[in-house]
Amino acid sequence: MKWNYLLLSLLCMGYSLLNAEPLFNDRSIELSDKVGLQLSGYAALDYQTQQNEKSPFVGAVFAPILHAKYANIFQFEGELEITKDNRVGTNTIVEYAAGTFFINDYLGLQVGKFLSPVGQFVQNQHPSWINKLPDAPLGFGHDGAAPSSVLGLALRGGLAPIQNIRSNYTLFIANAPVYEKAPDGDIIINAEGRFTPSHGRGIIGGRYGINLFNSMEIGASLASGKITETINNGKLVFRDYKVVDFDLMYNINSFDIKAEYVKQTIGTNNQSTLDLNGGIWRAYYGQIAYQVDHLHIEPVIRYGEYRNPEINYSQLSLGCNYLFTSSIMAKLAYEFNHDKLNASPQSIGNSNTFLMQLAIGF
Amino acid sequence: MIHIIIKNILVLSVVFMSNTVLIASQQEENIALGAKLWSSTCVRCHNARMPQELSNNAWEYSMNHMRVRAGLTGKETKNILSFIKASK
Repeated sequence: MKWNYLLLSLLCMGYSLLNAEPLFNDRSIELSDKVGLQLSGYAALDYQTQQNEKSPFVGAVFAPILHAKYANIFQFEGELEITKDNRVGTNTIVEYAAGTFFINDYLGLQVGKFLSPVGQFVQNQHPSWINKLPDAPLGFGHDGAAPSSVLGLALRGGLAPIQNIRSNYTLFIANAPVYEKAPDGDIIINAEGRFTPSHGRGIIGGRYGINLFNSMEIGASLASGKITETINNGKLVFRDYKVVDFDLMYNINSFDIKAEYVKQTIGTNNQSTLDLNGGIWRAYYGQIAYQVDHLHIEPVIRYGEYRNPEINYSQLSLGCNYLFTSSIMAKLAYEFNHDKLNASPQSIGNSNTFLMQLAIGF
Repeated sequence: MIHIIIKNILVLSVVFMSNTVLIASQQEENIALGAKLWSSTCVRCHNARMPQELSNNAWEYSMNHMRVRAGLTGKETKNILSFIKASK
């Protein structure tokens, strides 16, 4: 019952934000002519009820983002993601914390923990006020088929247009991801930026994005290196690790189209205590949304699949959003889930889900 | 002597005025380029936020953030900022 009160209170608070926008208009603090701070971020309230689950999922996310700059030559950005829900409790992680030196018009050097430059969902779509549906596509959440974040350095920026065609690039070198068993027993690729001993081994990769039309971007990403695994006696062993990703973003005449394909390949290691053979983690999704401007509503449809050595899921999501403003919205969605390896209608993979979310970007 | 001084002042005035016109024209061009980039680039990922939603200071941080995320050049970033500031 207390969750209902919490949800109601937070919904009321969210709605009151609609009339409080001027409070957020200037949230920067200028410490001197060159040095300053700014707070932004996003928040969300979630309610999900799934077939074959006894109780609904209720949760809240608060993700403040701090920007600190020195003139126009350096900017630090850090995001905390604080979640509270009725299953895990409270959890806080540093989603990213990295500084960028703007070396010249076309080159920035980013150092620290930053969102994986592979693909576009994790890096650009994951905040709840940007994502068109209340949850991430299958395989694009934490520990899925798409890498989450890296700890290292990147060279990135926009390139000079060629015949009005713009393009951008990222080249990065980063920590090795970890091959491990999650608390629920699943074998996962933990592709989070973290200080894990890897004896100097890591990954190198990049993404190239090209804007063939003004509001379209097609991207291709590659990464390669080693993934670490700690075996029983504490010894570290390595496997080959490769990532391939293709992505598309296109916005035209109120239609918003997004698609992405990602594949992580793990090599073999005969010393492994988890799994000798490695395997392939693969996911893709396609999504179309349409904004009916005068009604402030936005229907969305998304189809995605996620396959790894242990699972093979597909998901069709139908949703509708109401836009209070460009960055405050209420979302409703229904997801048809299908487990291709388990025909039982009682399995989680075959359980459809109803989702509600109030999302705020600030 | 006075003629020479007046002539020089006139020449300098013309140079100054034409330079001012050139700068104004360049600024207008930058704003127009910024408007085009704002309308096409932001919406690729998210709903475009109106210039009035944030203060000029706040937009400078946001645009540096977007320079990194969206792969903008420094000049493109400045042009979008010029458009945003001119739109208020």
